[in-house]
Amino acid sequence: MSALGFVAASNAVIWVGIWIYLLRLDSRLSASEKAAAGTRSD
Amino acid sequence: MKALKWLLGPYMLAVVVAAFLWPQPAKGFIGESSRIVFFHVPCAWTATLAFIVAAVASIIHLAKRDVGSDEAAAAAVRLGFLFSILATVTGSIFADVMWGSFWNWDPRETSIVLLLFLYAAYLFLRGAIADPERRGVFCAAYALFSGFVMPFLMFVVPRVTASLHPQTVINREGKILMDMPTKVVFFTALAGFTALFFWMWDLDRRLERMKRTVQGLERLE
Repeated sequence: MSALGFVAASNAVIWVGIWIYLLRLDSRLSASEKAAAGTRSD
Repeated sequence: MKALKWLLGPYMLAVVVAAFLWPQPAKGFIGESSRIVFFHVPCAWTATLAFIVAAVASIIHLAKRDVGSDEAAAAAVRLGFLFSILATVTGSIFADVMWGSFWNWDPRETSIVLLLFLYAAYLFLRGAIADPERRGVFCAAYALFSGFVMPFLMFVVPRVTASLHPQTVINREGKILMDMPTKVVFFTALAGFTALFFWMWDLDRRLERMKRTVQGLERLE
């Protein structure tokens, strides 16, 4: 693999990793917000 | 909104692939170093945007004194600081390839270090004041002051003295000196980074709100 190919592949892997992390954080946060809203209304 | 978050993944992946495969390396640059423009400039733009958002949120906080605008400003500064670091690191990689050293004390490099200090002081100030009301007002006033200084450091100071930095995007001619494929990938990357900033900003604010809710519930128990 050329140096440019390696940098491109690393960039793609880093971006996909960040994206998956943000998606998971978002969904976990949404679940916590729903649970907190339920606790407040009890 | 959820669909946009899902779309951002493949969108940015397409930007990364296009950045390395589509445009030809720009003339006058060593090897493939010009491709860093697709990552370095969007990082610098996102940092600028974040500091503008922080200044606007601070004005709202000074007018309304609500917790939400204070947290919005703090979240924007945290992200602006992060993207400034990324802009500095990517700039240093470019500097090493083009100018033979990671750091040259070029006016642009020096001004971004001053910018980092300026906003690091905001974060220190935030950590130093325990009372939330006083912290909110002090930090809002400081973020507003920094919001006025930031354009000088980002746009004015690097241009009043001779610089090694390429003048591809902002220059005296007022033109973006890029060919069409480079321009397309560049603006697509700018849009992607902007969307990424607003998503991260939203997450940061929601996390802070959640922390406040949990602390409130703990006090009730």
